Amino acid sequence: MSSELIDLNDLDLLADSGDESKDKTDIVDYKMVTFSLGGKDYGIDIMKVKEISKASKFTYVPNSIPFVKGVYNLRGDIISVIDLRLMFHLPVPENTTGIENMIILRLEENTIGVIVDTIDKVVGINSEKIQPPHPLFGDINIKFIKGIVENEEKLYIILDVESIFDQKAAENALAQKSYGTGSLASTSDTATGQPVVKQSSKDGNNVDYNFIVETLATFSHFFVSPINEGWVKNRFNSWSNQRASGGLSVQFNSAAEANEFLTGFASPNSGRFWEADYSAALSEILPDNESGTYNAWDVGCGKGEEAYSIAVCLKKKFGSKKIRIYANDSDLLNISTAPNLIFTKNSVPEMYDEWVTEGNNGWHFTSEIKDLILFEYHDVTNDNQFAPVDLIIARDILSYLTATDQQKLIEIFYEKLKPGGILIAGSNEVISGSGWEPFNKGRVPAYKKI
Amino acid sequence: MRVEYINPFVEAAFNILKEVVDSDIKRGELYLKSTSQPVLGVAAIVGLAGDVEGRVLFDMNEATALAIAGQMNGEELSAFDDLAKATITELANMITAQAVTKLHELGFTFDLTPPAIFTGENMEVTDAGVEALIVPIELSQGKMEINVAVRER
Repeated sequence: MSSELIDLNDLDLLADSGDESKDKTDIVDYKMVTFSLGGKDYGIDIMKVKEISKASKFTYVPNSIPFVKGVYNLRGDIISVIDLRLMFHLPVPENTTGIENMIILRLEENTIGVIVDTIDKVVGINSEKIQPPHPLFGDINIKFIKGIVENEEKLYIILDVESIFDQKAAENALAQKSYGTGSLASTSDTATGQPVVKQSSKDGNNVDYNFIVETLATFSHFFVSPINEGWVKNRFNSWSNQRASGGLSVQFNSAAEANEFLTGFASPNSGRFWEADYSAALSEILPDNESGTYNAWDVGCGKGEEAYSIAVCLKKKFGSKKIRIYANDSDLLNISTAPNLIFTKNSVPEMYDEWVTEGNNGWHFTSEIKDLILFEYHDVTNDNQFAPVDLIIARDILSYLTATDQQKLIEIFYEKLKPGGILIAGSNEVISGSGWEPFNKGRVPAYKKI
Repeated sequence: MRVEYINPFVEAAFNILKEVVDSDIKRGELYLKSTSQPVLGVAAIVGLAGDVEGRVLFDMNEATALAIAGQMNGEELSAFDDLAKATITELANMITAQAVTKLHELGFTFDLTPPAIFTGENMEVTDAGVEALIVPIELSQGKMEINVAVRER
């Protein structure tokens, strides 16, 4: 008898320990309020949610950012209300009642209401089941995603509300700053510089030109040098006439004006996929090589459109070779979306049809193209470590570096290019100096290493 | 630095530090530094090899290191002794290991070397030919900089 008892106990023990390990992932230690946005399920940590409510009649605040719906009186407390769908560029369904579903968030510093499509329920999960966000998610910046979790066969994207609203503040600051990378200190510099210029206006035109050159550096971080002087001088003449006819001073009063001055400087198809004719023009001048590999370096690839365009262009021309494109940018926000760039079908010219495919979040390139490109967060003025390349694309990059860095970078380009390789600079940039042979066929100005 | 590598390191650092050191933790803006840089006083280093090569350096001053080690051990430490050193080394190991695990899930495989710790004043680190990603972290114990320098092989 006694032995039987022990056996039974042992069995119980075994069963217990089995249960325990199974239970571990079932223990609910994280609750989230779930809701839908644009047809997908999301969750927010319940600790951040003060309450949920239906609300209408938001008080519009003039001059606010588009996704700020307005302010709302929550039992005497005035809170700001943000439309998450507008903020994340998701479709907003038609709503005739005017009554919106609102989640009131309690953040560290303030209380905020966010409008969502529908509020679902509270879901309890084990926090160990939360998986890190995968860079595939397109419509919402990965920084805002705390993780993904599965519950009852539904996948929930958990939003990190603290970082979203923190981020917003940061972006505001950034937007103000991006007008002049020189920041406040240098703006005040120009303010004190202005009167001096006005006093010594003997040779007004020349002084104006110098002033423009200086403020371009301050406001737009654009540095005038032999590389772009030709364009700037031409533009200065048309600018002076344009401003004079409008009765305005030639000098810039704001960053917006400096940027207006630079209109037309950007190379064709900047910041979007290259049109077929541009791609063909580039393809025409690409030198062939005898090896089985073809390496290219895309300097300052931004969000990645340029790198993908190059990839397709090379794929078409050198399909049989092993192609490698090093694409880098020093803007972390831009480059982090590049490896999984999502776009709409109509933003891609027809010539790319063969290589784009539709995923859950939108259109993207197939891995056949993606795998050709290595996206890196990298500052070109630091060390550049990679194999010699056949092609360098640095459109409108040099002009935005200081004169010393421009020279340094041109030397790096020279060193990195294989003999006979070509450098594509911006359409309005001129590379001179020994070792470079201008090679202007058609629309794409190129320079060959000799 | 390859874009896919950035997030795992940032997240791992954040998760682990939050868990074992301080729940009130803030991350600064990430940035890139070129080759030569000063080290604050205590530096734990973990090497990486495999698909990439490079190292991760955890850099802080001695007071911060002591406070963190004290917090992790649940007692007040007065001198930066073997226990404190071992604790900081372990912290470096935990963070790097979690980042590498995350990267492994994304399909990148690499190995870690055992961590080592350097202490001293006026130190400087130079990586020939790699730029470093700096992840500044603010803890209530002080400031820590995680300095990731890796490159593709």
